[in-house]
Order: sequence, then structure tokens, then C-alpha cells
Amino acid sequence: MANPLIDDRLVDLLLRDVLQAERLTALPHFADHGPETFELYLSACRQLARGALASSYRPLDLEPPVFEGGRVRLHPRFGPLFTQLRELGVIAATRPEEVGGQQMPLTVSTLAHTYLMAGNLSVAALAWLTTGAAHLVEAFGDDAVKERFLARMYAGEWTGTMALTEPHAGSSLGDLTTSATPAPDGTYRIRGAKIFISGGDHDVAENVVHLTLARIEGAPEGTKGISLFAVPRLREEGGALVDNDVHVTGVIHKIGWKALPSLALGFGDRGDCHGWLVGAPHQGLRMMFQMMNEARISVGATAAATASAAYHEARAYALERRQGRALGERGGEPVRLVEHPDVRRMLLRQKAIVDGSLALAATTALHADLAEHGPEDARERHRLLLDLLTPITKTFPSEAGFEATALAVQVLGGYGYTSEYLPEAFLRDQKLNTIHEGTTGIQSLDLLGRKVMARGGAGLRVLAEEIQRALAEAEAAGLEEGLRAPLGAALGQLGALTATLGQRGMAGDTLGMLGHSVDYLTASGLLVIGWQHLRLATAATRRLEGGADAFAEGLLRGARYWMATEVPRVAHLCRLCETGEPSYLEMQPEWF
Amino acid sequence: MKILVPIKRVADPANANKVKVDDDATKVTSEGLEWVMNPFDEWSLEAALRLTENAAEKARVGEIVVVSITPGEGDTDHIREALGKGAERGIVVPAGTDEQLDASVVAKILAAVVKKEEPDVVLMGKQAADGDSAVAGTKLAELLEWPVVNYATNIATSDEGKTFEVKRELDIGVQTLKVEGPVVFTSSDRILRPDSIKNGVTPDDFEYADLGDLNSRLSNLKNIMAARKKPIDTMTLDDLGVELGVGTEYVKFTLPQGRSGSAEFVETVDELVQKLQTEAKVL
Ligand SMILES: Cc1cc2nc3c(=O)[nH]c(=O)nc-3n(C[C@H](O)[C@H](O)[C@H](O)COP(=O)(O)OP(=O)(O)OC[C@H]3O[C@@H](n4cnc5c(N)ncnc54)[C@H](O)[C@@H]3O)c2cc1C
Repeated sequence: MANPLIDDRLVDLLLRDVLQAERLTALPHFADHGPETFELYLSACRQLARGALASSYRPLDLEPPVFEGGRVRLHPRFGPLFTQLRELGVIAATRPEEVGGQQMPLTVSTLAHTYLMAGNLSVAALAWLTTGAAHLVEAFGDDAVKERFLARMYAGEWTGTMALTEPHAGSSLGDLTTSATPAPDGTYRIRGAKIFISGGDHDVAENVVHLTLARIEGAPEGTKGISLFAVPRLREEGGALVDNDVHVTGVIHKIGWKALPSLALGFGDRGDCHGWLVGAPHQGLRMMFQMMNEARISVGATAAATASAAYHEARAYALERRQGRALGERGGEPVRLVEHPDVRRMLLRQKAIVDGSLALAATTALHADLAEHGPEDARERHRLLLDLLTPITKTFPSEAGFEATALAVQVLGGYGYTSEYLPEAFLRDQKLNTIHEGTTGIQSLDLLGRKVMARGGAGLRVLAEEIQRALAEAEAAGLEEGLRAPLGAALGQLGALTATLGQRGMAGDTLGMLGHSVDYLTASGLLVIGWQHLRLATAATRRLEGGADAFAEGLLRGARYWMATEVPRVAHLCRLCETGEPSYLEMQPEWF
Repeated sequence: MKILVPIKRVADPANANKVKVDDDATKVTSEGLEWVMNPFDEWSLEAALRLTENAAEKARVGEIVVVSITPGEGDTDHIREALGKGAERGIVVPAGTDEQLDASVVAKILAAVVKKEEPDVVLMGKQAADGDSAVAGTKLAELLEWPVVNYATNIATSDEGKTFEVKRELDIGVQTLKVEGPVVFTSSDRILRPDSIKNGVTPDDFEYADLGDLNSRLSNLKNIMAARKKPIDTMTLDDLGVELGVGTEYVKFTLPQGRSGSAEFVETVDELVQKLQTEAKVL
């Protein structure tokens, strides 16, 4: 049977039981929706993902784009697939009606996105990049800029990019040097070089609009002097589209997401690259950060999606292939791989990572919906949760998802290491997720240095309340102590540690506070995924009251595994942070 | 042109292994089944959509009414799905149980709906993926005293459905028929080929994209939202003046034997031939 990519039953359980997404339709912004619009949209996305997208995945992986005569040509199957995505309406799905969208909750579209990304991430990413770029124009552009770009981007006639990274400025965008000079016509002349720009050129849509960070001449140094511009490949002039002096200077040869070109671009070689300012001058990074939540949730969802596709490959293989005898048996017929305890360990570990990650991505998306469109008096609370959960939602699925995807390779043994099977490709794809949209290191500084400490630790307090509530519900549903106690303990440990680290920060001991920031992020991930498993287990228990249910049994075992194996690691990680375990901190560069 | 497209919900043929029969083996139990639109009806829905649109301009130029006879309360999921793909209206007829809905009852119900709706065409699946009887279309035409063309592979009209040129691909060649509406068609999968439908509105050289594994086009989000506002009327058996009276008695259902799933490798062709003769006994 073909790879289902994502388990429909999990999506269904999340939307109906765990998140109760139907409640969103009581809010004015989502009033035109109902469970049937959610279901039909998911159904269309999953059909496209399992059919045309998935069946082209390998051919596209094998034949990356070609750079010829200054232009980039994509695989011939890319264009028709992108057209299908565009026509389905994914690009503007969540956007308001007045800009051509359908006001789909992010909760639902995030889950729909997991199917598409699991099916063929390079193609789905072009749509996703376009949404992100257009959203910046929608949120911050003035009427003239919107008029020029917005409708065509949301319709997918023009695609978008994020042009942030420069060769010498990746994690540290404050150091970027692309320049913008005011021109008499009110636009700017852009000059500079960008690298890794995904979707930066192609032949599947008429035009590309680069949402570009640049420094207006005379702007302040560092992060406070960066502005945002819309810079099209072709600009409109006298009713025609003319070349806007943006050039492809090279194609990055990368190990995954192979069908989507990532490019080195040169802006303004001839001094004729026009850029339209988006928002106020010098506010570029601030605006980018405001839009970062959605992009980062989506990276987490993508990581979960890739890990899920890999898990389903491994699962199917382990249910089919016969090898060896059951533990303690001699002779007889070979048993299926899935009969071996260690193979079951690998599969359950993958499943627990995948289920927890999908649940977390959908949960964070729900808080994004409620922070923006929920009842006024509750928005602040959801905003705090959204901000706190975002770096975790970006990172946990990416880091643990890489391990899960590697386990899928392992389950297939030697065959997993060959390109006859898909897990190796998923492993290559997966690695990007810990790097783009802010590396894991950068996420950890964002979480501990910014999000946790903001407003006197309010975010963590709200999270603690949510987890306590889930614990109470779990108890009421009759969940065994072993499924609840470890989570309560870990929550206490992380809370105490946070107080300690906060005091260090206030006393000016930055290294003492942030030296183990990734351990802190990892511990937060284990805890938050534990919270997801607790809620899944509660929903599963309720389902089991209705009779035997293999899916619910699996969820319960996943939750038990997580509580027994992973949540206890929080204590250890907290100790490392708390004691400031010094081994790597003491290392001198010349000792490496 | 107005087209009536009947849609049946069937247990997902992709999960046929979930189908169970009850203890005395006289009926299929529906517990735990996942319902999907009968794939053969989906072909007809797609054909109907192509007959009633200007594909080049993505504009609707006719009307499709989907009708679903559903056991119990009258589940509308698959009507909504069809509306999300572009159909204009839905009619649900809640009626009886799956066993009570044999081809003769279905044909009677549909005939009553046709009398009320007066479509130019009824476009049906050639059969339902569960029962595989392939009777309802022909029976309906007989009740209506309309012409019927089964297993149509091409349908063309240039006068909005007053007359049609229809093709059927047979083992011996292609049969071309001219037929006047109103008419009942049942369709073959070849109706989905990019050039199988000509409606005189979509330019003749327009080519539809290959649907791949799909049985009909995907819905898009805009249509899905619009579908929420499209009407679905309920017609009861009373409204239609039809009584349930089953003409078919099911004697016994037997589930297919599970496949053993084991494979054995042989070294030589001779060995293969010998095994096929002595063990598999197929030669
Ligand atoms: C396939 C691909 C597609 C991409 N697409 C785009 C795109 O469309 N648009 C775009 O603008 N960019 C894009 N990027 C660029 C990507 O966002 C950057 O690669 C990323 O931000 C890291 O920057 P860098 O590569 O310069 O690494 P560096 O910043 O040099 O980082 C190297 C390492 O040092 C660590 N590090 C750096 N600074 C710190 C710090 N302060 N504290 C702790 N650790 C630190 C990092 O975590 C990392 O492990 C893409 C990259 C790839 C690989």
C-alpha cells in the first residue's frame, strides 16, 4: 500500500478531541467555516499529497534544477504540480477574504501543510515561501506596494522569497550590508549579494518577488538599521515587465530539498535594481520577527511531516520483511522484523517523536489563531504561549525528527542505506530543519534569553497552568499515575531552574544563564512533548471506553514510552544547566 | 444543460479487507467501514463537470444536481464533497438500510427525483464498487422510457444537450452512437481522458490535465467555501411517492480468501513449470 504520509486518525483526533478546533468556528473571523470545510480542505490536500506530489518526489530528487543562460530551469514535473497546489488555494488559505484568502484557521492549514510537505516538500515549499513573503507585504506594505504585489502573489502568479542571508551574515543578520539608496521616484536602488535564497529563480511562474533586507544609506549600525524591501525580478514599466537587475550568480548544490533551487543572487550590478520599501525605514528586522512565529511553526510541522513519511516507510517494511527467529526460539520460519523487540523500540520511538511533534505543531498553531482572532480578553494569554512555544515547536521536531528519520534508515538495515528506498532521501531533507529559519543554537538563545524571561516569566507560568490542567483532565479520565507523575515532576524542575537562571541573568552573569541554552531548550522540548502525549493518551483512553481500538492502544504505549524514557531526562538536563557543567565552556579554541 | 449525478457512498475499496459479514452471512455489516464516494460515480461527476463548464475560462455554464440516497439519517458528506468540486446543488434522500436499497428501489427513487428535477441528462456510474450489479442505470432509463448508453467513453454535444454523439470502446472497435436527450449515460473510466468530453463551449482543442490516480478533480478551497452556502434539499420517500420493497434476496455472502502472501523463488524455468503443474495446478 502507498505511504499514507501522515496518519489521518491522528489528525482527526487532534482536531476533534484534543484541540476541539470546531470551537474556532464560533469566532467571528472563522464563522464561515465548519467541520466540513476543514475536512474537505484536508481531504483535497491529502489526495494531492499522496497522489501526484508523492509519486513525483523521487524523480524530482534525482534531477535538481539546471542553471543555464543566467536562468534556472526546474524539473518539468514541477510546474504542473505547483499549478495544482496554487489552484487548490493553499497559498492564501489562511489569509483574509479581502486579500483573496479563505480565512482557514492556521491550526487546520498547518496539518494540511504536513501532508503536502510529506508528499513533496520542494514543491510545497514554493507555495509556502510565497505565502510568507506575501504576508509581509499584506501586514506592513502601504497601499501602493500592496496594489503592486499582493494579489498576484496570493494567486501564485508571482512567487515570493525571503532574501535575508548574505555570505558573511547568516545567524547574525545585524551585520548584513546590502544597501538601498533613495531614488527621486520614491523607490530605492538596491545593491548587494544574497546567498541561499530559496525559490530565487525558476520557470514555473511569471515573476519572483524577493522580500529583501537591506540598509538604507546612513542608517544606524546593526539590527536597528535594517529595512525591508520588495524587489521583483521583473518590474512593471509602461505596461510591460522589464528586467529589474536581479541576477542569479550561482546555484547551491545541496543534499536535500533538491528540486527547489537555493541561489546566490546579485542585486543591482547595473545600478538599476528598484526596491519598494515595505513598512517604515529601519524596522525590517522587527517586522521579520513579528512574522517569524508562523514560519517557525511551519518548519516544525515540516520536520514532523518528513519524520512521519519516514516512519511509515519503516513501519511498512518491518511488517513485511522476514528475518531471523523470535528471541529465544530456534528453527522454524523466519519472523517479521516487527517481532524483534529492538525493531519495535525503534518504531515506537519514531512514532512517539512523530505523534508528539504533529500535536505540538497543531497546538502552537491553535494558540496563534487564538492570539490573533480569539476573544479579546484571552489574546494576551495565547500570545504568551505562542511566543514561548514557537522556538520549541521549531526545534524539537527538527532535532528529534532527524533522529527518528535516521531510525527509519536503521529499521531497513542495509537497504535503508541505499537509494532504492526513500528513508535516505528523507534523512537528507530533514537536516535542513535544524538550520534554516534560525539554527538550533539561535532558537535556544531566543527561548531562554528572550521568551522565557519576557514579562517576568509570564509565558512559563501560563504553560504551567496548561500542563496542570491537562494533568487534572488526565486524572479524571483515569490515566494511570505512571503516565502523569513524571510530567508533574519535570514541570517543577524546569520552573525552579528557570528562576535560578533568571536571577543569574539579572545579576549580569550572562554565561551562567545562557551557557547551556541548548540543554534548556532540549529539556523544554521533552517536557512539552510529554504534555502532548498526556493529552493524546487522555483522548485515547476515552476512545477505548467505546471498545477495542488499535490506534488508541498505540497512542497509549507511545505516551507511556515518553514518560518512562524521555521525561526523566529533564532532571538531568536541568542539572547541567544549573551547575553550569563546565567541560565545553572551559575549552579553549586551541584545545580542539 | 442540467445534469443529475447520483452518488452512492460505498465502503472504501482500498480497505476492502475491513469488510465483514454478519453471523448468518446474509448481509455485510457496516461497522468500522470508511465511506467514500463510489469511484464510478466520481468518473461521472467529473464528466458532468466537464460538460457544464467553459474549462478555458474556468466558468460554469450549466447546472449539476447531485443526488444521494443514504441509509439512515441522510449523510451529506459526499454531497458536500461533490459541491466542493463544483456541482451546484444537492438532494439527499434518507431511506432504509443498505440491504433495502437494491437496484430496483434505487431506480424507482431516482425516477421520481428525475420527474421533479427534469434534467437533460442523468450521468451515472456504470456500477457501484460494493455490489457491482451494474443494473440501476438501465432500470432507471426503462422506468423513464429514456434512451440509455452504458459504459460511455466519449460524450460530445454542440447544442447544449439536445443531441449527443457518444462513443463506446469495445473489444472489437469503437461504436459511435447518436442519441437525443433526455438520456441516461453510464460512464467508463476512459471518460476521464483529457479529450473525452466536448460540450461546444470549452474550445475543442482544450486539453484537461491528466488526473493521475484521482477519480475526479480535486476540490479547491474556494469551491469548498462556496459549497457551504449551496443548498442541499432533503426529499423523503413520502415526498417522492416511493415505497421500499426489496426485489432482491441475498442468500449468502462469502469473504474472499486472504492471500497467503508468501513467495517462493525457483532457480530455473523448468523448475517453475514443474511447480506450476504439480503444486499450483494451473498448467
Ligand atoms: C537549503 C537552504 C535554504 C535556505 N533558504 C534561505 C532563504 O530562502 N532565505 C534566506 O535568507 N536564507 C536561507 N537560508 C540560509 C539560512 O537561514 C542560514 O544558513 C542560517 O540562518 C545560518 O546562517 P549561516 O549559514 O551563515 O551559518 P552561521 O550563522 O555561520 O552559523 C554556523 C553555526 O554557528 C552557530 N552560531 C552562529 N551564531 C551563533 C550565536 N550567536 N550563538 C550560538 N551559535 C551561533 C550556528 O548555530 C551554526 O551552528 C537557507 C539555507 C539553506 C541551507
